[in-house]
Amino acid sequence: MSSDFYSASILPYAPIIIKICRAYTDTQEDFEDYYQEVCLQIWKSRHNFQGQSEWSTWVYRLSLNVSMTLLKKKKNTPQHTGSEFIPEELSEDSKAFSDESLEQLFQAIRKLSEVDRGIILLYLEEKSYQEIADIMGTNPNHIGVKIKRIKERLKKLLDGKIN
Amino acid sequence: MEKSIETTWKQGFLKSDALIAPKVNDIYNRKSIHLIEKFEKMFKINIWGIIIGSSLLFIGAVLAGALVAGSLMLVMMLYVAYTAYQELKSLEKLDKGQSSYAFLKSFKEWIDRSTERYGNMYRFVYPALILLFYFGIWYSDIFSPMREKVAESTSDLIFGLHTYTTLAIFIGAGIMSAFSKVIHKEDVRAIYGKILDKLDHALAEMEELQR
Repeated sequence: MSSDFYSASILPYAPIIIKICRAYTDTQEDFEDYYQEVCLQIWKSRHNFQGQSEWSTWVYRLSLNVSMTLLKKKKNTPQHTGSEFIPEELSEDSKAFSDESLEQLFQAIRKLSEVDRGIILLYLEEKSYQEIADIMGTNPNHIGVKIKRIKERLKKLLDGKIN
Repeated sequence: MEKSIETTWKQGFLKSDALIAPKVNDIYNRKSIHLIEKFEKMFKINIWGIIIGSSLLFIGAVLAGALVAGSLMLVMMLYVAYTAYQELKSLEKLDKGQSSYAFLKSFKEWIDRSTERYGNMYRFVYPALILLFYFGIWYSDIFSPMREKVAESTSDLIFGLHTYTTLAIFIGAGIMSAFSKVIHKEDVRAIYGKILDKLDHALAEMEELQR
């Protein structure tokens, strides 16, 4: 991947990729893996971009698809890291964000299903229902209801009413 | 007042540390290590396969009354397993600290070197196995009625062996010896083909990335 391509076509959209990758990963190591994989896939599929949508929309779609695929793969692969035994104080160090509220919000988002994470991320990024539906490949009519439900669930998660 | 998730989202990302992109300079690092670890795992299974297979062959040979041939085959195959183990040790010594590209390149060089070395070794191992198997069966206790039958039916014998069969076996062993490298390469491809393809693909991609 040329540094020109990275600087011009990926770096300006890095915030999108970062937010999505953070929502699909628990650790810094996984986050870096996902980020790199998304960048690589953007570079590899760059010729498939036909300009029918904005480049940023395409980056959203690709980042979500790659992240969901990697998460599925990870779920299907037995983990040997023993991360469940990481003491509380160590996992505190691996917080992605210094902003406590944002960190909690991401922790709650990570408890949602893969698709719900994508929808709420796009909603928070102020995408229209039509854009969300286009990116996620769903019907725009149901997006509003879906977002309402996800927000309610997020609120419950943040209030500690559910796990 | 409690913040809405929309406000949390907007305010949280105003902080400068929230959106730091990781470096993308070593994109294949973990991938390349995974690839080699997978290869090492298969290589270990292969070594155990040789040990177990030759042990079973030895037991079979003992039961058939071909102790000498069975022992020789066992020793030879254990030697092959031992050299494979040494090869594995040298693979583990590859410097994982170098760049992914250099790492995969040295892995590829290791495979080529190893295939070449084994190709040379199998120049003797393949024919030796064929001959030992043939002589082992022929002189085994279990084969003695057949031996007598052949001796009665033909005068074309050499050291008690049927001349033309022996000749055919020797020619077969010679051909195996001559084509040992090709046969071994195909053998390697049959076992590790998927990994080797992935390796070639990764190297090609990385070379393109470097352009």
